Amino acid sequence: MIYLKKTEKLEKGGVCLKKTSLSAVISTFILCFVFYMLFTFAFNLEEILVGAVVSLIVAVFTAKFFIHDNPFYLFSTSRFGSLLRYVLLIFPKELLKANIDVAKRALNPSLPVKPGIVKVPSDLKSEYALSMLANSITLTPGTITMDIAEEDGKNYYYIHWIDVATTNSEKAGETIKGTLEKGIGGIWK
Amino acid sequence: MRIIVDIFLIFGCFFAFAGTVGIIRMPDSFCRMQSSTNIATLGTLGAVLGGAVYSFWSGNIGTGVKVLVIGMFIVLTNPIAGHAICKAAYKYGIRPDKKFVCDDYGRDIADGK
Repeated sequence: MIYLKKTEKLEKGGVCLKKTSLSAVISTFILCFVFYMLFTFAFNLEEILVGAVVSLIVAVFTAKFFIHDNPFYLFSTSRFGSLLRYVLLIFPKELLKANIDVAKRALNPSLPVKPGIVKVPSDLKSEYALSMLANSITLTPGTITMDIAEEDGKNYYYIHWIDVATTNSEKAGETIKGTLEKGIGGIWK
Repeated sequence: MRIIVDIFLIFGCFFAFAGTVGIIRMPDSFCRMQSSTNIATLGTLGAVLGGAVYSFWSGNIGTGVKVLVIGMFIVLTNPIAGHAICKAAYKYGIRPDKKFVCDDYGRDIADGK
């Protein structure tokens, strides 16, 4: 979703990608290196050296796509706590509920689906929050984010919904992403 | 311990089965996408968690960590492909046989042109 917004802005002739800062490169490097070590899981000198070189190259070239904001934003107890709470509690609960619902629909002999595309407003502002919410919505079965649009300073999602209970966009938003949005609002504004 | 692994695997298999049945039975491509998310989330996550518990239990910490990281990456990358396919299908002009209940996207795109 970040990608889409960027290209929109580029077409309007405005903002380009921001310049990369050294801290962005360093934090991307640390992330790449941690995942390299987790995937190889061999702690001898050669692996560590090769991993460091590879992650440094990757970090130099990809940091500008990866981090646009302050890289140490999450280093605060409340933000990291709410991230953990979201990833371990709120999201799995919604995922389980939605999965059971869609599995029931698929196995039901009469196949009760009412597909439709609803437009849903969102109060979130930051790009990270918007893309995280869009990915969470897509990941829960029954709803897929199709596009994101900005109108009058407010962001709207277009969501394909397998069971359109209401066409009112406010109510639909509350049903689809009420708890998810509250959880993400604690992490990013 | 073995029972816990089996429970996770059966859980994953059930949701993979439900998703597959959904892909065959759903009326149009957008609803099929919805059903396929079923497989990608709880179907794979069940299998991944079962595999991770099994490898931690049998002492292969390396394998267990790798399996967990694989699960994490599936969860991170799956939605991006999902919404790209869905949007591409819509822009290409695929419409369901049965009408949408409401189609805000089509309305707004038509206004934009």
